[in-house]
Amino acid sequence: MKRYKDIVGDAGSNIIGQVSEQQARLAQRLASVEHVVAVVSGKGGVGKSVLTVNLATALAEGGLTVGIVDADINGPAIAKMTGLRGRRLGLGEEGIEPPIGPAGLRVMSMDLLLPAEAAPVIWETSVQSNAYVWRETMEMGALREFLADTRWGRLDFLFADLPPGADRVPNIVELLPQLSGLLFVTVPSEVSQLAVKRSLSRAQGLGASILGVVENMAGYFCRECGKVGPLFEGGEAVRAMAEEAGVPYLGAVPFDPEVARSADAGAPHVLARGKGPAAEAMRKIAETIRVSVMSNPSH
Amino acid sequence: MKFLCVLCNEPMRLDGVDGPHEGSVTVFFRCPECAHQIALLTNPWETQLVKSLGVQVGGRKDPAAPLEQVRTHLADQGGAGDAPACPFSALVAEAEARQERGPSTSTSGLWTPEAEARLQRAPAFVRPMARQAIETFAKERGYERITEAVVEEARSQVGM
Repeated sequence: MKRYKDIVGDAGSNIIGQVSEQQARLAQRLASVEHVVAVVSGKGGVGKSVLTVNLATALAEGGLTVGIVDADINGPAIAKMTGLRGRRLGLGEEGIEPPIGPAGLRVMSMDLLLPAEAAPVIWETSVQSNAYVWRETMEMGALREFLADTRWGRLDFLFADLPPGADRVPNIVELLPQLSGLLFVTVPSEVSQLAVKRSLSRAQGLGASILGVVENMAGYFCRECGKVGPLFEGGEAVRAMAEEAGVPYLGAVPFDPEVARSADAGAPHVLARGKGPAAEAMRKIAETIRVSVMSNPSH
Repeated sequence: MKFLCVLCNEPMRLDGVDGPHEGSVTVFFRCPECAHQIALLTNPWETQLVKSLGVQVGGRKDPAAPLEQVRTHLADQGGAGDAPACPFSALVAEAEARQERGPSTSTSGLWTPEAEARLQRAPAFVRPMARQAIETFAKERGYERITEAVVEEARSQVGM
């Protein structure tokens, strides 16, 4: 009796062909994007999205063309942080026209598709119960469409702001074989480091390119006295963790309430108030990433 | 997934798709040798899993429209205040406006009032895609008018 491998193709749906077509469409769209960087954290609340927006803005201010795809389908934040919430998406012949944000950033986010501020992402289905069976696949499908159907044009950098969790790493690595590298964000707390270590291990196990680790909220910047004081215990622990993992430590960004205020106002901190230590740190990290990625032919 | 006719030792071929009805899709297969027919009936989770892959059972005839998967499956939750109820209303309005601007693209004469009314029962954001798919289906089969029967035939065979 014939076995699976003896039968060429399927019964007529050509499911594998349809999936291949999706991948080809994605590859074709991203052919005009020089470098794709995925921003990852182990846990939520470490400031990953704020950092993504500021790094992207810093590179754009330096003369590069930059886009951000908000890969956090259920907790999208990038549209708000770039002042684009409520902006209308255009439908052109070649795909969706992304709205243009500060410094010319091109942004695509689920937030641009939701009807109201408090609207959650709900998928139409007859089986809301046990939705874990298919929801993650649906979310990856949505991300694939955001990447493939957005008319990014020519970009020097495209940042993908991933939702937190080690499980997101294999998903993005599989979806984007052309990924230039993963950028890990942690705060100095032991809990956050523990989680980011797991994400790092997962990425290393997959052989993914790792750009390095950014230590966010490394100290508190007081605007009254102009000094940076401690916020978490730990000292050099994040740097030591990065060294132990064999990945670059890209720098520390102090917590500055102005960074959060700027994000809420939709004006990235590096753009609006460029002179604090947080802005300087983020600019320096952006430059390190630019040099690292653009000087490496494999990226 | 592949299906083998055990008697003939031949792979079965897709013979039609019906549904989804209450979350279940019926997919018919026929043996090209002995014409034996079977039906695969999916449960709602299986149906949803296939949908989440962004593929079409029965095969895809046209390239996917931009954000097709998201547009088709994101639930219409109703708007808040002045916000439109449909998250894709702006996109759809633009697509329809573009269609109207195009040269002689009106196909309204093709549709019987009953078929048109049936199309209007579909959610706003899927209507342009559904219209195009049904018109393509009708053209391929040489139908001069799109009646309710043609809509039903397209729906069962294309898997809408």
